[in-house]
Amino acid sequence: MPFISQIQRQSDYAYFPSDTPIVIDNGASYFRIGWAGENEPRVIFRNIVQRPRHKGTGETVTIVGDHDPALLRYFDCTRSGPRSAFDNNVVYQFEIMEYILDFGFDRLGANGSQIDHPVLITECVCNPVHSRSKMSELLFETYGVPSVAFGVDAAFSYKYNQRHGICNEDGLAICPGFNTTHVIPFVAGEPVYKGCTRTNIGGYHVTDYLKQLLSLKYPHHMARFTWEKVEDLKMEHCYIAPTYASETRLFQKGTEEAEDKTRVWQLPWVPPPVEEAPSEEEIARKAALRERQGQRLRDMAEAKRSSRINELENELRGLEFLLLQLEQVQAHEIPNFLRETGYHSRQEIEASAHKVTLSLRKAKGEPKADQSEAEDKTDSSSEKYPLISIPDEMLTPEQIKEKRKQIFLKTTSDGRQRAKQKRLEEESERERRNQLDEERRLENPELYLEQTRARYKELSERVEQRKRLKTNGNQTNGNSGGVGRGERLSAAQRERMRLLTTAAFDRGKGEDTFGARDEDWQLYKLMSKDNDDDDDGPEPDEVELARISSRLQEIDRTFVPKSEAETSQPGSEVLKSRPLTQEDFKIVLGIERFRCPEVLFNPNLVGIGQAGVDEMAGVSIRRLPEKDEELEKRLTSSILMTGGSCLYPGMCERLEAGIRMIRPCGAPIKIVRALDPILDAWRGASAYAASAQFPQQTFTRMDYFEKGEDWIRGYKFRYTL
Amino acid sequence: MESEVVEAELVLPTHLSFKKVQMYEKYPKGQSRGRHWKHLKQILQAENLQNYPPDEPNYVNIESPPSMHPSVKICDITGLEAPYHDPRTNLRYANTEVFKQIRALPNEYVQRYLALRNAAVVLK
Repeated sequence: MPFISQIQRQSDYAYFPSDTPIVIDNGASYFRIGWAGENEPRVIFRNIVQRPRHKGTGETVTIVGDHDPALLRYFDCTRSGPRSAFDNNVVYQFEIMEYILDFGFDRLGANGSQIDHPVLITECVCNPVHSRSKMSELLFETYGVPSVAFGVDAAFSYKYNQRHGICNEDGLAICPGFNTTHVIPFVAGEPVYKGCTRTNIGGYHVTDYLKQLLSLKYPHHMARFTWEKVEDLKMEHCYIAPTYASETRLFQKGTEEAEDKTRVWQLPWVPPPVEEAPSEEEIARKAALRERQGQRLRDMAEAKRSSRINELENELRGLEFLLLQLEQVQAHEIPNFLRETGYHSRQEIEASAHKVTLSLRKAKGEPKADQSEAEDKTDSSSEKYPLISIPDEMLTPEQIKEKRKQIFLKTTSDGRQRAKQKRLEEESERERRNQLDEERRLENPELYLEQTRARYKELSERVEQRKRLKTNGNQTNGNSGGVGRGERLSAAQRERMRLLTTAAFDRGKGEDTFGARDEDWQLYKLMSKDNDDDDDGPEPDEVELARISSRLQEIDRTFVPKSEAETSQPGSEVLKSRPLTQEDFKIVLGIERFRCPEVLFNPNLVGIGQAGVDEMAGVSIRRLPEKDEELEKRLTSSILMTGGSCLYPGMCERLEAGIRMIRPCGAPIKIVRALDPILDAWRGASAYAASAQFPQQTFTRMDYFEKGEDWIRGYKFRYTL
Repeated sequence: MESEVVEAELVLPTHLSFKKVQMYEKYPKGQSRGRHWKHLKQILQAENLQNYPPDEPNYVNIESPPSMHPSVKICDITGLEAPYHDPRTNLRYANTEVFKQIRALPNEYVQRYLALRNAAVVLK
């Protein structure tokens, strides 16, 4: 990690006299605080605040800056992410700013009753007066600071580098920061804000772009791309291409150079445990287990059956005993006798005895058929149904009733007989066909197998087609874009719709004959909704398919019948269930390495229409109040890059190429990087605050209250010492 | 509080001797106080910049103008140059392989790719 916070508490606060200013570089990404005249800030931390809830006690606490993430496990951070006091590069949430200042002063070692030192704090270029006055109010009222000065970070950095001979009195400062990028022209050592330009793009956008791209490219590892991690990746791997188009062409061609430029980040990957094929022993054990379970179930069923048989036998015995008793009882005493048994007559008892016998027989598993066999035997019909052949006139009314009953019984038994006959015939037919098949197979096994397979395929396709038609209207699966009403209906539904619409029309002026024929009424049956699922038994094709597939299974071991799920959803399932390999845990950074920082030059990549860094330099020069070619030459021969986002390799070359394109031919162009693009702003401010002129640039609490807002708006810091 | 947390001084103390007004005095607990800050937009509106001469630099007028360079069109997925544009998803793509990929992308991902360049459909 190239950059680490320093948050150790300083112990020498008391040694500084009260006229030593405190210098604060209040950047949108990092907050730096230290003493005027020193070369390094004392405390550096990320300019963010979190207010999570402590898991143990439940109280809301304030955590400023970035800390060891391991310590955050004691806190519930789900409802409060890190928050910043900045909107773009302007401080707007002063509650958060106060927490940050609290933490900064606390770590600097402050322990008195107030901060009794002048404060120099940086702000953005042309800070809105609201923000500036709120900040001074905060410093004066809450911390008791005696006097305050505001300066621009990029200007301090430019002045610092000017003093070290890096850049000249006249020049351009190009400062790509965290949220915004500025270009500030300097004339005679002072910034000219009239010529200043700002584009709202910076390191934040680069990191965010990279983060989004990676999590879209590797959705499996989304959780790995934390802000901090991606920031690290950006700092370590991103670079700026000489020109975007040429660099992408390298990658498109897949040259060796491109391969060299591709970085791979291997995430920790543990191969999934390989599932070994179960051993013989295992199989045997499982089979035994299954067998045992089966046995138990069978035993249970057997016990249940025997208990039921027992029960039924007992009941039957009871009924028989009752009948025996009844025989000894006088006819007129029967009702009396039966009162407590719950039966009313002898016939009733006999009937229930018969019923019990039947269910007993069923329970014992004796074939029910012997009933029908018994019928068969006695089925000379004439003696069983004696009344049928006698004409009605010769019968008493009771006999007529009896006759009707007999007719009914006879027809049903006849029907049963016929069904049985049919079944037998079908069975023999199937037998015959199988036999035929078998013969053909024996004749030429290979040919037969092939024919059967072909037939199977044909049949399965046909059945499939019918099924699809039934459920889905036509073959496009509805996602082809056409979403007309007709296309979504199944065949049956469509037919129903057609019937309904034709029925709705008047049948013309002629005589309405609807209903004259019986078939007309059939229409309502077709229209009714129940008609949708036309379950008129299995189709002949399906029956044949089942037969062939079972036959194929018999003779061909490798044959696997197609399951429904398989045929309806090819592809997608397979993709999802593929186990992740080591390759999937590789994060490849190829084009992303220069695609993300490219947003500084082409903000329209992230949807911001403003000018990029190189174009801004031209705009800045154009905006200068008077046109002066000599001055322009002096400006372009001293261009300083400062700010965190100018650290990408290749930035300098790209910027030079870009600026050369917009400047007249032969114009001198010299671009230099600041000594330390990140800390120079603080160092410049520190050097400035230590100088003798600094107290004249500050304003006090009295000034703040007496001179009013307009004065604060006009407040302007002079950078020339 | 756990000893590690206390040792690291992770939590900002609620009372700091160098402050004249403490945080808990400014924002007493248990009182709803609503939003007490302005968005940047509101701040800029309150500046009343129209009352000042237009050539005086301020936060709004130092902003850069729209870019005059032709905008680069790159493939939303791969970052290569993108000569093509898919009318159904509105994504730009570089070649047929990428095209196949974007046609297989779920809509959520399409919208996220579009959001990267601020072109996603925003439902209000």
